Amino acid sequence: MDGEFLGIMGENGAGKTTLVKLMNGLLRPTKGDIFLNAKNIVSLSVAEIARIVGFVFQNSDHQIFSKTVEEEIGFILKNFGYEEVEMKEKITKTLNQFNLTQYKDQSPILLSGGERKRVALASILCADPQILILDEPTIGQDALEKRKLMDLLYELNMNGVTIIIITHDIEFTAEYIPRCILLSKGQIIADGPTRYLLANTRIIKETSLVEPQIAQLCTLLDFKNEVLTLEEMKTKILELIQR
Amino acid sequence: MAVNLLEAFKFKMKNTAIHDLDPRTKLYFAIIITIISLIFNDIIPLLIIFLALIPLFLIGRIFTQWLITLRSLTFLAILIIVLDTLFISFNLGVAMSIRLFVLVSAFSLFFLTVHPDDLSQSLIQMKVPFSIAFALSLAVRFVPTLALEAETIREAQMVRGLELQKGNIIRKIKNFIPIIIPLIILSIQRAMVIAESLESRGFGAQKQRTYLYPLKMKLKDYLTIIITTFIFGFLIAIIVTGGLPSWIYFRFPF
Repeated sequence: MDGEFLGIMGENGAGKTTLVKLMNGLLRPTKGDIFLNAKNIVSLSVAEIARIVGFVFQNSDHQIFSKTVEEEIGFILKNFGYEEVEMKEKITKTLNQFNLTQYKDQSPILLSGGERKRVALASILCADPQILILDEPTIGQDALEKRKLMDLLYELNMNGVTIIIITHDIEFTAEYIPRCILLSKGQIIADGPTRYLLANTRIIKETSLVEPQIAQLCTLLDFKNEVLTLEEMKTKILELIQR
Repeated sequence: MAVNLLEAFKFKMKNTAIHDLDPRTKLYFAIIITIISLIFNDIIPLLIIFLALIPLFLIGRIFTQWLITLRSLTFLAILIIVLDTLFISFNLGVAMSIRLFVLVSAFSLFFLTVHPDDLSQSLIQMKVPFSIAFALSLAVRFVPTLALEAETIREAQMVRGLELQKGNIIRKIKNFIPIIIPLIILSIQRAMVIAESLESRGFGAQKQRTYLYPLKMKLKDYLTIIITTFIFGFLIAIIVTGGLPSWIYFRFPF
């Protein structure tokens, strides 16, 4: 699953968070093994796993504590034992990447909600994890912020980072995430390309999700092949008109 | 350990003779037990008080919860014994650690069998101002929430490579800063939200407010209070007249 872009969806209590917490060692399996880069992680500490698996929590206020944005971002590097020079370099790079350079000496606590989320993400990403897990990254974000977040994640994905996103935001999933796993009551009930999953009314019902509006429209219009994004809908309609 | 200690204050609804008593009766009982255990400095009488409390936990069906609480006190008890032995005497150390168990037991009997709502209601009926009683019940209400939040924050910092157990003692204390600061900030933020939501529901609109379920003392409450007072008075009388048998003052010879 190297370099994948994966969404995990399911009703509340389906086991999404449990699943990802197993992936980074915060929870330990009662039976079975978990392998990361062909290495069993059951015996590794969370800090050791964290060098490979980055995990961004839902509420950025659960992690922000430093005096300045710069320190906040550097915290993970300090814990991982980076040299001063390399640390400075990585922080500067990350600040630029996240458009946070002008805030670098400000208190992260006083930033706006969207900016705090960016700081939280930056504070994980500056350690260059191979796998990035995000828990509900779109909550409380406006459309533009979502768009920017996705551009950034795509770019990371292009560079080989595996992205795993837990989300309830079905429009967002339909628009951006290519592959999806649906969980229900602790079981994987579907796994495959998002466009097929989200167009399947029965699966959607089972996970207490509501189909994206475009998918609903497709069902109403009796479009057999799965149209999922605005762009695709436009092409389809133009096709119909020209016929 | 910290989480286990909180076990003592977690109320579970049960239908027993102890739960059925008025909170004020149980508070009175806890205070009397406290006074008695402060009067004695010796092992035997404190041990008798402690043993006498056990049946009450069995009747109230809170025995296991109580044991969990006591277990979390073991470290503190050992510390008391060690320090007392070093600086004063072993006998006093043992006595003081039993006293600690008695005090915690008396009040966990109260907290384990009183519904948080009844707690504030009984304070109000004892003429404690409503705002203070309410603040207290809010505090009790938010203990589990805070514990849960601390856990989430701990996890959020662990995935950033924080290792709490690393380093010497000063380093270990410093390791908690990334957990404490977000916890404080979130608590202050929550306090604001609670204040706003209270005001939007008319908190403090009227000086005198009415209550849906005022507490009423029943016959068994009066009986319990009378018996407790009688035993207390009897004990005081014996102590004052010097009528305690000498084995009460038993001490280990070392």
